[in-house]
Amino acid sequence: MKRAILSCNGLDKPEGSVAREVAIRGADATASEIICPVLLNRAPARYRKALTDSLLIVVDGCSTRCATKLATRLEAKVERKLLVSDAVKASGRPLESTLGLGPNGLALARSIVDEWVRNLDAQAPAVGPVADFETPAEYLVVTHDKFEFRIPAVDYLFNENDVWTRVLDGVARVGISDYMQQKLTDISYFDPPKVGAVVEQFGELGSLESAKAVFEIVAPAGGTVAAVNPAVIGNPALVNEDPYGAGWLVEVQLTGWPQDQELLLDPAAYAETVQRKAAEE
Amino acid sequence: MAETTFMGVPRDRIPWFPTIDYGKCTFCMECDAFCPHHVFERREGGRKLVVANLTNCVVFCRACAKTCGPDAISFPDKPETIARIKQIREELTVK
Repeated sequence: MKRAILSCNGLDKPEGSVAREVAIRGADATASEIICPVLLNRAPARYRKALTDSLLIVVDGCSTRCATKLATRLEAKVERKLLVSDAVKASGRPLESTLGLGPNGLALARSIVDEWVRNLDAQAPAVGPVADFETPAEYLVVTHDKFEFRIPAVDYLFNENDVWTRVLDGVARVGISDYMQQKLTDISYFDPPKVGAVVEQFGELGSLESAKAVFEIVAPAGGTVAAVNPAVIGNPALVNEDPYGAGWLVEVQLTGWPQDQELLLDPAAYAETVQRKAAEE
Repeated sequence: MAETTFMGVPRDRIPWFPTIDYGKCTFCMECDAFCPHHVFERREGGRKLVVANLTNCVVFCRACAKTCGPDAISFPDKPETIARIKQIREELTVK
């Protein structure tokens, strides 16, 4: 499938200049079409074919994520998102304060594109699942106004950040609850953690994005990331459709179990938490 | 609005809430528009923003910082906060 790049134009921030450079270099390296965000906003029909026929690479300069918001509004299929301000922090080298592209900015743009293209060449990373989990058979149901929130009645544990885990043979499968997927509404992107990364309990296991929010996946248990769900990377809407089954996100080889279990809620306790949260909104 | 406890610990004993760097903040109000828990409040006719309702903030949530273009919002260190929560839990168990 063809690719198209939608980038921050970034005329008022140094990160924007880097985003623009990433788009130009990335388009060259991957034979992708560039989509101008200003024209897309003004006349979306101009890019209708590109958005329909291509996988979209979204390059945001800063956390305002203008390019992402445009892509979400147009319901484009996003293959990869790049955020320059995060890359700046990870690099440890601040950008020049000028709006034009300085040496640090240029080096960063090159490195972002190099890593992106390298990952493309490597094809799909080794991902899960590593354990064989069954879909829940029975649910508790919390109701609030016209909403119903389902919670598996057994085998699942939750943290108070609305992330579930289910453990089998030393492996924890992780996902978000039905309550949280309904709060986020249509999930458009899953930024997974790196397979092999070591994460402590309550550390970050990647994030999910919808038009409403960026949701940090708070690890319900500590361990090593063993797998991420390739189906959700390709189709994030699976989290909305089946949050406890096909929409699982990550599998973790546990290192702090069963001690980590002390800080988790069983289904009945999580049902009370959901009831309280829903009432407070 | 506030959660009364988090992991069995009274919420007001957990120092988890955003801090605004006013040297960076442009008062775009993206964070306030996003946060469903009313942690922020607008002042001076909507031209200024403050962190007003500290205990409304969901412990370990950093979503508002992820909406902040000028990177003006910071949160406490997570491992330190986890250690603090575990310490309070132990104190409560002993009592």
